Amino acid sequence: MEALTALIDGFGVALKPMNLMWGFIGVTLGTFVGVLPGVGPALTVAMLLPLTVKLDPTGALIMFAGIYYGAMFGGSTTTILLNTPGESGSIATAFEGNRMARAGRAGPALATSALGSFVAGTIATILLTLLAPLVVELALKFGPADYFALMVFAFITVAAVLGHSTVRGLTSLFLGLLLGLVGIDSQTGQARFAFGVPELLDGVDVVVLAVGLFAVGEALYVAAYQSRFQATIERVRGSLLMSASDFRRSWPAWLRATAIGFPFGTIPAGGSEIPTFLSYATEKKLTRHPEDFGNGAIEGVAGPEAANNAAATGVLVPLLTLGIPTSATAAILLGAFQNYGIQPGPLLFQTQTELVWGLIASLYVGNIMLLVLNLPLIGIWVKVLEIPKELLYAGILVFATLGAYSLHQSWVDLATLYIFGLLGFLMRRWDIPVGPAVIGLILGPLAETQFRRALSISQGDASVFVTQPISATLLAITVLLVIAPWLVRRFRRTSS
Amino acid sequence: MRSGAEIALSLGVVALGIGVAAVTATLPSEGGYAGIGPNFVPAVVAGGVILLGLWLSVEAFAGGWRKLPEAEAPFQASPFLWVSGGLGIHMALIGSAGFVLAGTVLFACVARGFGSKRWARNVAVGIVLSIAIFLFFVKLLNVNLPAGWLQPILGAAGI
Repeated sequence: MEALTALIDGFGVALKPMNLMWGFIGVTLGTFVGVLPGVGPALTVAMLLPLTVKLDPTGALIMFAGIYYGAMFGGSTTTILLNTPGESGSIATAFEGNRMARAGRAGPALATSALGSFVAGTIATILLTLLAPLVVELALKFGPADYFALMVFAFITVAAVLGHSTVRGLTSLFLGLLLGLVGIDSQTGQARFAFGVPELLDGVDVVVLAVGLFAVGEALYVAAYQSRFQATIERVRGSLLMSASDFRRSWPAWLRATAIGFPFGTIPAGGSEIPTFLSYATEKKLTRHPEDFGNGAIEGVAGPEAANNAAATGVLVPLLTLGIPTSATAAILLGAFQNYGIQPGPLLFQTQTELVWGLIASLYVGNIMLLVLNLPLIGIWVKVLEIPKELLYAGILVFATLGAYSLHQSWVDLATLYIFGLLGFLMRRWDIPVGPAVIGLILGPLAETQFRRALSISQGDASVFVTQPISATLLAITVLLVIAPWLVRRFRRTSS
Repeated sequence: MRSGAEIALSLGVVALGIGVAAVTATLPSEGGYAGIGPNFVPAVVAGGVILLGLWLSVEAFAGGWRKLPEAEAPFQASPFLWVSGGLGIHMALIGSAGFVLAGTVLFACVARGFGSKRWARNVAVGIVLSIAIFLFFVKLLNVNLPAGWLQPILGAAGI
């Protein structure tokens, strides 16, 4: 009940004309940039971060939530019409979505993905509203040792368990942790790894890292390996409307996908890759039209798209209530909070009620705006896809450098950006995931603070991490996650 | 398949770890109640980076990194250099020539890197986009960007 009154107050904030306007600008820009091929939600959020430097925190964060949701909606348009998923969460949509478009059914595919995203996003936001206060209750019992254990858990799942290779995931994470060390140590004021460069004393900015890895690295990679290819855009022919049968086949998929996506978003499982594939597999198994799968089955679009949005909302639960980002995009959002001196976590719900509930309320509003923006105006977004590749990447880089330069008005940040670009190029070519590096950069310093705080309280006794129940449980689960796959393999080998 | 690039990258990670360890050795270790100082976590990270570098090296020498996708096409140096060069010139120019001119040069170089030789169009699009971004940020968002050599013109336009 308390949550309900807080939410109503939140709507009071979100529906203020200025905040409505920031939200609207956010969803529009988010959709626009999200539609650009090769630009996923993480890069969209990172590139648009500089827009908000002079806004008040509430307006800026509402705009940011809009950008985040908008990027998700925009990405599905690109996936369906161009078959180039901008991020791993869209790969599953591409299977059936692009085939529908090629079969001349782009309209219903776009409609089911927009409606599915709306339904899943709204249900997931309701779940967020209900769940957040409960997690806050729990989180208030967390001490520094427990937070540290939770962060270690997040590191390991994101870096070691997901992806193709444990060692490459961990390498990426440690690069991020290393970059997180640069700057002034928050506990003692000691400068570390700054080499006397004033720009480095502030630490490595998450925007520079994310934009360097995702935008500059991607531009270098595409230029060097793919500049000869030009993708084909599928035209939107015929009706945008879904038939009664399309609708009958879509809505159960939306609901099932929400049930799959939301929980996966809330745990540190790397965002939306797993739930979207799970949803695709579920729909393929349950469908009454198995012959359509592989030829453009509408369930195969409805499910993964809804799962993607539900997971994106689920990610906000640990982000807002615990201050733990579980995807690269969430890490960048956390960076945006930190720019305003706001540390998400249970205390945020007590000290900044208006901001946090205004933000949650704005998610409901943003979802409605996006539905309106995406269905009738789809023609505009299709035009965006027709921007030639050379102009697209040139524009992205002009914008990317702007974000880095505006930090200190210094070329040093541009040099750093290019170095991260080279790093991103190497990581892309040799299949080292970039997400763990971004998460390591943001979460590393927080983990160090909690670690040292825990040891200060225990007067240097390191056993606190295994004697306190919450911390001990989390660390035990982490160890299990690491050794279980190895044990299973071992067991299979001996039994066969 | 043993690959020179993978071996070089793996050893590079080891070298990075050793470099981090060397810098860590210069950091103070006193830490008050916690018993650990500002050098503790850097030491852990240095150790981790070295170990991961060794792990990568072992894979690289023993048959190559695991589950690595093939390159999609042969590496092309010229587009790579056009994009890099554009970023380099932009970096050198932005302080003096200003955001609009540096951005236009960057835009044209990147477009060339992606194979377009329509210089006139690319420069025109680049200049319009840069001016639009400049006005949007400086006028609407109050973000400070350098006008540089175009100060007289942009200034005369009331900016």
